[in-house]
Amino acid sequence: MNATEQDLLVQASHLTVRYGARRAVDDLSFSIAKGRVVGLLGHNGAGKTTLMKAMVGLAGAEGSLQVLGLDPRRDRVALLQSACYIPDVATLPRWARVEELITLMAGLHPKFSADRARQLLRRTSVGLSDKVKTLSKGMVAQAHLALVAAIDARLMILDEPTLGLDVLSRKAFYEMLVDEWCDGERSVVISTHQVEEIESLLSDVLMLNEGKLVLSLSLEDIDTRFVALSHDAAVAEQMVAAHPLLRYRAGPGPGHAALFDGAPPAHVQALGQRMRPSLVDLFVALTRKPELDRTQF
Amino acid sequence: MQTWDQRLPIYQQLADLLAAQLLDGDPPEGQAMPSVRALAGQYLLNPLTVHRALQALGDEGLLENRRGLGLYVTPGARDRLRVVERERFLQAEWPRLRDRLRRLGIGPEQLEWEPLA
Repeated sequence: MNATEQDLLVQASHLTVRYGARRAVDDLSFSIAKGRVVGLLGHNGAGKTTLMKAMVGLAGAEGSLQVLGLDPRRDRVALLQSACYIPDVATLPRWARVEELITLMAGLHPKFSADRARQLLRRTSVGLSDKVKTLSKGMVAQAHLALVAAIDARLMILDEPTLGLDVLSRKAFYEMLVDEWCDGERSVVISTHQVEEIESLLSDVLMLNEGKLVLSLSLEDIDTRFVALSHDAAVAEQMVAAHPLLRYRAGPGPGHAALFDGAPPAHVQALGQRMRPSLVDLFVALTRKPELDRTQF
Repeated sequence: MQTWDQRLPIYQQLADLLAAQLLDGDPPEGQAMPSVRALAGQYLLNPLTVHRALQALGDEGLLENRRGLGLYVTPGARDRLRVVERERFLQAEWPRLRDRLRRLGIGPEQLEWEPLA
């Protein structure tokens, strides 16, 4: 992520969060520029939620962390004017009507626009007089997004926003997010383990494995750094023996694919056809113990 | 959800898809293209990817930028696309199709096909 200092919305350096003796987030250094869609990927327990909490001042961290130029722990109130957050445990009060939630938000948040919220809700099937308890899970998620996206903020943090939603609800959720939020200036961080689903949405990836950052790269740079080759079964042994192999996936039919971290020798490259490296393959390769990888084949 | 072929850049696939729609008159010549964000939302793509696809169509002269208004379908875009597509069909697809018809022993009289008057 190349950007000047003021274009960086998040800057973390040697960030560590401890729960007792355990380091839930361990020595992370990364930055997030403006106008980006960042996927925070990792298995359960990898530290995604902890990192997001630290970014909005809900978890005490060592090292340095600046979000929108502020210290999230110390300047939490100021930060939450310009950063919005939907935690993974978020709920809307079941008894409330949507219109009442808009009134509540308008009273609570100085940068919330009730008009904007109503405008966003018009693209959903959620009615202003609907009570939350009558809405489907997908509609609740959309209502929640509409309320949060109506805040004139620069950074949105979404922790597993589509967990438990069916495919159409997930699509509607991301459609609203991209169409209504991503304007080239504002950024959003989305944590998920449904990697393949949001791959094409992302501009950058932060990948966590057991608290450590194993990848922090733009999708463009992923295409340059990693080389994925699809090939026939006949040349499988040469592929597997080549360096620097990261992962090997024997597919059904001709779908064999080798993933290299860097370019393999030219004679090996000539044996296969270059593809876009899939984020799922990278995820599987980088979020397991490396010594297990070579025994795959 | 839309799936993308791993063998081609996504922006290229989106450009091809949009070009196919333009050939069908959607949107018609002289009309505005949907915005980058609308397309990004519709296809669940990063806006930068959409931007690149539109740029590629612009480079082929199919879209034009009207200052302050956004991208419009260039008058004559469909004819240009049709020429390119016809050429591609005749060069790449027809020889394969012809071989297959020969292998299957299908003659012109068995193809229910009337050229446009």
